[in-house]
Amino acid sequence: MQASGWRGRSELLYFAFRNWKFVVGIGVVLSMLALALVGPMLTEYEPLSFSGPTDEPPSSEHWFGTTSFGQDVFSQFVYGLRAAFVVGVVGGGIAWLVGAAVGFTAGYRGGWIDDVLNMLTNVVLVIPTLAILIIVAAYINVKGYTTEAILIGLTSWPWAARAVRAQTFTLKTRDFVDVARLSGRSTRKIIATEIAPNMSSYLLMMFILLFGGAILIGASLDFLGLGPSNLISLGLMMNNAFLSSALLLGLWWWFIPPGIGIIAIVGGLYVMNVGLDEIFNPRLRET
Amino acid sequence: MSLRVDGLRVYYRSLNGDVKAVDGATFEIADGEIMGLAGESGCGKSTLGKSLIRMDARMRFVEGRVELDGRELPIWDDRKMNAYRFTDVSIIPQYALSALNPTRKIGALATELLAARGIALDEVMQEFKRRLKLVGLPESVLERFPIELSGGMRQRVVMVLSSLLDPSLLIADEVTSALDVSTQRAVSELLVEFRDRGFVKSMIVITHDLSVLYQIADTILVMYAGKLAEKAPAETIIEAPVHPYTQLLLSSLPEVGIRYAEKRLSGIPGRPPSLLDPPSGCRFRTRCPFAWEQCGDEPAFKDLAPGHAAACWKAA
Repeated sequence: MQASGWRGRSELLYFAFRNWKFVVGIGVVLSMLALALVGPMLTEYEPLSFSGPTDEPPSSEHWFGTTSFGQDVFSQFVYGLRAAFVVGVVGGGIAWLVGAAVGFTAGYRGGWIDDVLNMLTNVVLVIPTLAILIIVAAYINVKGYTTEAILIGLTSWPWAARAVRAQTFTLKTRDFVDVARLSGRSTRKIIATEIAPNMSSYLLMMFILLFGGAILIGASLDFLGLGPSNLISLGLMMNNAFLSSALLLGLWWWFIPPGIGIIAIVGGLYVMNVGLDEIFNPRLRET
Repeated sequence: MSLRVDGLRVYYRSLNGDVKAVDGATFEIADGEIMGLAGESGCGKSTLGKSLIRMDARMRFVEGRVELDGRELPIWDDRKMNAYRFTDVSIIPQYALSALNPTRKIGALATELLAARGIALDEVMQEFKRRLKLVGLPESVLERFPIELSGGMRQRVVMVLSSLLDPSLLIADEVTSALDVSTQRAVSELLVEFRDRGFVKSMIVITHDLSVLYQIADTILVMYAGKLAEKAPAETIIEAPVHPYTQLLLSSLPEVGIRYAEKRLSGIPGRPPSLLDPPSGCRFRTRCPFAWEQCGDEPAFKDLAPGHAAACWKAA
């Protein structure tokens, strides 16, 4: 992104709204977010409490039907969406912060600091993340989604760190960074004002990918039954449906909504990311 | 004396050993003097200029003493030099066209640059605007991004910024090379104007373009292969150079209005020696048409007349 300020931003907005990938992607993600925020107010049922007949298909009373335990699927779905967004924001956010901090420091400082940080990054990168998460989650008995999200965030940053490090390497040799260094500005300020703004589109897209990734990892963990068991999430809904043989019994309204929810959020984010790439990179723009 | 450089040696570190880019430079610049620093590519002129303000990581300070207005510059200490940069020594970098962060407006950029020196932009805003006007830029450039300015405009913005704090010494490193001829002329004239108005006390103009120097420089220092070859008033260098290298360098310049149909434009045969392992004695020996036995010993850079010094046995 070469320009910011109102003229720069309006130019970006112009290209953003002409890009159907971005519009569709952000539309899907925002409608899911809206559902997650408003949904719980539309239903009178608690997601985990017994609320009516069991195994009932969708009706006007229970919009998405009920489970084998008589719980309302719509209520579970909207609360699950909330959980997904919490995991995405917190997990993706932590991974983004750690990744950016490690990447900027390693890339800008270079030398032995880079060697140490790069080794750490590679170590975390080659450790099978899901296996670690399974072990950790089994031991510390995750109580809430925030804990789960923090665990995810602390293990999914390495590729982000590597990407930021590589970008910082190319940017730190630019002439204007040299001038900033000549003026005796502090390293932190040089990174914040000279290097980061020149890769802002990159940083934004990195956050989106980490956000979607955290939701996927969270859903996998919950599906395996390693997430919080006293709350509800999309993964846990699938887990429950699977354990109650919903597929065999033909209770499609139980396992399809959480699947669609996950696909909609993550798929929407990825499509939006492709669109953003085209918006920020003039070479990919289809004017 | 504004600047006094004594026996300065700056080498580049390389795996094959030290590259002796500046190997014993001794010269002085008077108050109000614009000194041109000329020579072929790789003769060490940019290294000499840069070492006076900021050594990059590959440069190694070997020995020497640099005094500016009677105070010694700690050029070997990157942190201590911070106190002198922009206020005492400043540079218009070689890459002035890309020296502006593309994501910052000129005003924001100036604020950040000054903040690093502990000065608020408001304190110097009046002067900043006055100088922008002087170099022919509207105030509105403060609200613009570098990408919206032409090459010449960006160059002038950088010139104003680097001289904003009235440094005693301004180093202009190849400021005219990337510009077209008419912009070159405007920029050169601005350099002189900066000196005349007292924005800077003295100036080192580094270029390989002798014709630009002849227009603006008071004195010209010619370097060859890391050594000083000749320093004299601009007139003397152009009209009556004594060092064979200076003579050959000048004869390599085409003259306007003369057709070179019959006669080939003469150059200097051979190429400059490797600075990794420079030859003993006079470094120009291998290419010099006047070389004799004495040239196996190194000639001293000594005064021939007031303000005129050269390092050549023939000139003595």
